[in-house]
Amino acid sequence: MKWVVNNRMNAFYLIIAAFLLLLPFVYESRNMLILLTQIFVFAILAMSYDLLLGFTGIVSFGHAMFFGIGAYSIGIFMKRFEPTMLHFIYAVLATILITAIVSFIVGLLTLRLKSHFYAMLTMALAGLFLVLAEKWRTLTFGNDGFTFRVPEIFIDRTNFYIICLVSMIAIFMILKRFTNSPLGRVLQAIRENEQRTESLGYQVLHYKIAASVVSGVLAGIAGIFYAMSLRYVNTSVFTMDITLDALLMTIIGGVGTLVGAIIGAGLIEFAHDGLTELAKEHWIFERWIIFFGIIYILVVIFFPLGIVGTLRKFTWKRRKLESAKKKENLAG
Amino acid sequence: MELLFNLTLNGLATGMLIFLLAAGLTLIFGLMDVLNFAHGGLFAWGAYSGIWIYTTTGSFLFGIIGAILTGFSLGIITEKWIIKPVYGNHVQQILITLGLMLVLSEMLKVIWGPNQLTANPPEYLRGSWEIGDMIIIKYRVFIIVVGLLVFAGVQFLLKNTKIGLVVRAGVMNKEMVQALGINIKKVFMFVFMIGSGMAALGGVLFGPYSGVIHAGMGMEFAILAFIVVVIGGMGNFTGSVMAAILVGLSGSFMAYYVPELSLAVNMLLMAVVLIVKPQGLFGGKG
Repeated sequence: MKWVVNNRMNAFYLIIAAFLLLLPFVYESRNMLILLTQIFVFAILAMSYDLLLGFTGIVSFGHAMFFGIGAYSIGIFMKRFEPTMLHFIYAVLATILITAIVSFIVGLLTLRLKSHFYAMLTMALAGLFLVLAEKWRTLTFGNDGFTFRVPEIFIDRTNFYIICLVSMIAIFMILKRFTNSPLGRVLQAIRENEQRTESLGYQVLHYKIAASVVSGVLAGIAGIFYAMSLRYVNTSVFTMDITLDALLMTIIGGVGTLVGAIIGAGLIEFAHDGLTELAKEHWIFERWIIFFGIIYILVVIFFPLGIVGTLRKFTWKRRKLESAKKKENLAG
Repeated sequence: MELLFNLTLNGLATGMLIFLLAAGLTLIFGLMDVLNFAHGGLFAWGAYSGIWIYTTTGSFLFGIIGAILTGFSLGIITEKWIIKPVYGNHVQQILITLGLMLVLSEMLKVIWGPNQLTANPPEYLRGSWEIGDMIIIKYRVFIIVVGLLVFAGVQFLLKNTKIGLVVRAGVMNKEMVQALGINIKKVFMFVFMIGSGMAALGGVLFGPYSGVIHAGMGMEFAILAFIVVVIGGMGNFTGSVMAAILVGLSGSFMAYYVPELSLAVNMLLMAVVLIVKPQGLFGGKG
């Protein structure tokens, strides 16, 4: 039964992916293309955040740190050297290396702490990176940021769209595999009950660090794409807003469901876009963060599973009912 | 000498403002095990409402009272509607108070506009005293005095009154206090109210001190307050005043001597304290 459902879900994902792949060739709207690209980029970020929040039960407020490292790596490489494919690859490698090292060290230092302290410390460390980006003017040009050119292949919006989409799907599949692996199962066990997992003989800290390294690296990759889509980078990539966006996307879509992160990213970016349009009609929509904030509070109180989580709960309930009925029929 | 004195005075005044914010945070954490990420929002609300009342009525005293009342009422609303549904769940607490922080700081922009407001000290607190070559800015002294008065007042409340006894006992062991037939929920509400009022008072005092207030100041100060709470020990009231003065002084001296490091130094200090002694320099709830 389970396999049938999974196959049906996989077929569904496949259809959506094919649709999105073909979209730029049938529907030519530059704005839509840019918006969708943005959604894919943030979906990568949200999925990487979900690995921490949804699968391991860690609230990190420093996720922007990794996103920013990615964005600045690509920016600096493209600005300092020729914008060629080779340097792009160097930038990606640099991002992976730096984010892995930083997330490893940060994890080693902080993951021993309770959730409150961990949240605060990651917030402070992300703040540190923000200060660094603002003060290290020779490298980052401070608050003003800088523009840069990207390799030939990324200039075309359609190409870039497809590259982002494919990356998102690839990362989705990797994470799906990762969370279903034995390691991923241990992470979920940690989320459910840390003490019990520890007493089963698992080194909880090691698993948490592994999760934070994977999540950090993926956030860095999202940062690369983000900076490339704008061809501009400034210190805003290190601000709390980025972390909050990832948080919001994950929560609204449904924590612990990777599809939820994608859906959340789509919803938030669409809503953001729509509300910015509406701001021309009435000034209240310029303050769209209020709506998000209120929705976010309501979601945390009343709707803690998010969209996908709630849907899943209902299907599970229905399936349980069905199987109960079947049993009854058999008995009768 | 003169410079040192000025830097010290400035550091002490900033320290007192941070203390007003951090004290509420630490009491709420100690008693209710809630880390209120929206606390900075209350600070900003105190500043905006207080300065608004002050500029419309022309009386700074009214402004201060108005700010404290705003803090009280926002504190009650927060406790009742936002915190109560998520007691005991740390992850949800962090998420929900952060959401509230967003709403609070955006609401400021809706009501008072996105631009920063200016604020000046009232006539009788303007200017400075000159003793020898030392110039003592009156308003800074005023902040320090108010801060110390509040510290003494809360200390008296905690140490010498029955409600303080209950609060202190609650910080030690909630269940026991409840078992003794005291309505701990009322105590929660009371502490939340006092903490929010102190944050709002800090906000309104900050207005004329910096000259301008803006909606982002809540977050900035909240981070400083977190740092203070961690350094001083979570739930430790006396620790929070010590740590606030430490952070204020180090900020003021660093801003003069090594300006590049002024923000980073506090964060590094906190990181070191958290790693080496997670329960804080002055002890407290780990």
